[in-house]
Amino acid sequence: MIDIRKLKELVKLMVENDLTELDLQDKEETVALRRGQPGAVYTNQPVVHAAPAMTAPASANDTSGSSDGGSADDGLIAIESPMVGTFYSAPNPDSDNFVKVGDSISSDSVVCLVEAMKVFNEIKAETSGTIAKCLVESGQAVEFGQKLFLVKPN
Amino acid sequence: MPDHATMFRRVLIANRGEIALRIIRACQELGIETVCVYSEADADAPYLRLADRAICIGPGPSKDSYLNIPRIIAAAEIANVDAIHPGYGFLSERADFAAICRDCKIEFIGPSPEAMGKLGDKVEAKRYAKAAKVPVFPGSEGAIEEEAEAVEVANEIGYPVIIKAAAGGGGRGMRVCHNEATLRTNIKKAQQEALAAFGNGAVFIEKFLERARHVEIQTLGDKHGHAVHLFERDCSMQRRHQKVIEEAPGPGIERKKITAVAESAAKLIKSAEYAGAATVEFLMDENQNFYMLEVNTRVQVEHPVTEMITGVDIVKMSILIAAGEPLPFKQKDISVNGHAIECRINAENPDKNFMPSAGVIDTLHLPGGPGVRMDTHVVPGYRVPPNYDSMIGKLIVHADDRKQAINRMKRALGELTIGPIHTTIPLHKRLMENADFASGGIDIHYLERLLK
Repeated sequence: MIDIRKLKELVKLMVENDLTELDLQDKEETVALRRGQPGAVYTNQPVVHAAPAMTAPASANDTSGSSDGGSADDGLIAIESPMVGTFYSAPNPDSDNFVKVGDSISSDSVVCLVEAMKVFNEIKAETSGTIAKCLVESGQAVEFGQKLFLVKPN
Repeated sequence: MPDHATMFRRVLIANRGEIALRIIRACQELGIETVCVYSEADADAPYLRLADRAICIGPGPSKDSYLNIPRIIAAAEIANVDAIHPGYGFLSERADFAAICRDCKIEFIGPSPEAMGKLGDKVEAKRYAKAAKVPVFPGSEGAIEEEAEAVEVANEIGYPVIIKAAAGGGGRGMRVCHNEATLRTNIKKAQQEALAAFGNGAVFIEKFLERARHVEIQTLGDKHGHAVHLFERDCSMQRRHQKVIEEAPGPGIERKKITAVAESAAKLIKSAEYAGAATVEFLMDENQNFYMLEVNTRVQVEHPVTEMITGVDIVKMSILIAAGEPLPFKQKDISVNGHAIECRINAENPDKNFMPSAGVIDTLHLPGGPGVRMDTHVVPGYRVPPNYDSMIGKLIVHADDRKQAINRMKRALGELTIGPIHTTIPLHKRLMENADFASGGIDIHYLERLLK
């Protein structure tokens, strides 16, 4: 039987931290909470999305963080994710970030972790210079080629 | 309408091009959120905008993107999907991928790894086929070692026979023998050739059909032990083992014979506990005897012609079946209505030996009107990437009978305009005017003979 008090605590946690999805699983039960989404998920009437027109050329990637305005035009070099996964800025939640704006890096410097399937991969800078900007947030999903940092080359 | 309480909330599409669009459409109609993966070469693919989310998984080469299991699973994880639809090609017939999905608690929209293993393996499939009374190729049970053995088997099967390398493929190591003398000369040569080319000198013998037609049976099986067939498709118009035109039903085939083989195919699927869409491929000889080639454990490119004549949405069914829904119909509910033809439109130049024609499509006009269906992902301004196969769309027509279907296809091909890249549209126009095609029943080597 699901503990209502526990559920209320979880809902409170979601609201306080402005979360939209929370999934918990242990041996006995699975709890999936969704917040702020219009319409019921489970209905007998399938919802057909009003799809945007299919025209080309289209840049379909709206999670690339490209709206940040940073680009190679500024003479900055982007460090791109070599894999799909979840970006973490620090080795673990209690540590300091690997790098921050202003830090000097070399091509072997580990700048972040990208986790996929429970494996944490250290991502090397592959370029040297100074960190000019961090484009993603810790815990954010990133895709192949997504720009993570902008670096001012030496 | 079945209760959608167990329906997937979100599905990842591990494919590209027209089939990715096809799956997005089916998911949208089922109220399922879509996540589409793409490679950098497909970054401008127009159908990605129709998906709820698109995730770049790698550079152009397939091994680093659409064939890359860790990247696809990582994308499935970050997007928190319930299921993955593999489409056709790529990972759709990889039992290891299906097993990995299962281990990661993601539903693979297709058969279980076990069912895929049973029917995907040619030797195993033959075993199940025999048990289900599916007609198979008469041939040697195992590898042929001695010349005398070869002669004995050939006498049993009847000439002509074909010697095939067990480890071979792609038409290599195959020798057709019309009599004992030729067989005796060729058996040793074939063994040597096989050893040199494939590192394995094992050869076997099968009956060779001079004028075979490629006739396949579409089946659907669910997770509750039900299986049905959706009748046949004739895919004999081929070039280099690639299908060019498909149609349903097969022209001039005795319906009783079709029913018998189709029912055996459904029985085969059921016996292998196969859940999903499967196609059992056959060669049919001049006496309309069928011989099973293999089982394709996935949705096929040419599924639309079957959809047009039966009214069953095969892609939707693949999703519903994977979600645990029982088949919503019985065999008696399925019938053939009219005739459908599909022309595969490839970005190739038929006048230059079908050389691939990559580039930007500036001019695009798609046909319409009654009984016309165009399954394509291309839009004006679309750049055909050079990294993948050359198929850019499928033109399908449906009409009351075959003659009207051919007529309609002529009309639709007249409207279809794609440029400036080269396409196989002129070839299809030529084939729709072809008298042998109009008569129906051309064999699998017909097109190659015509093009010589």
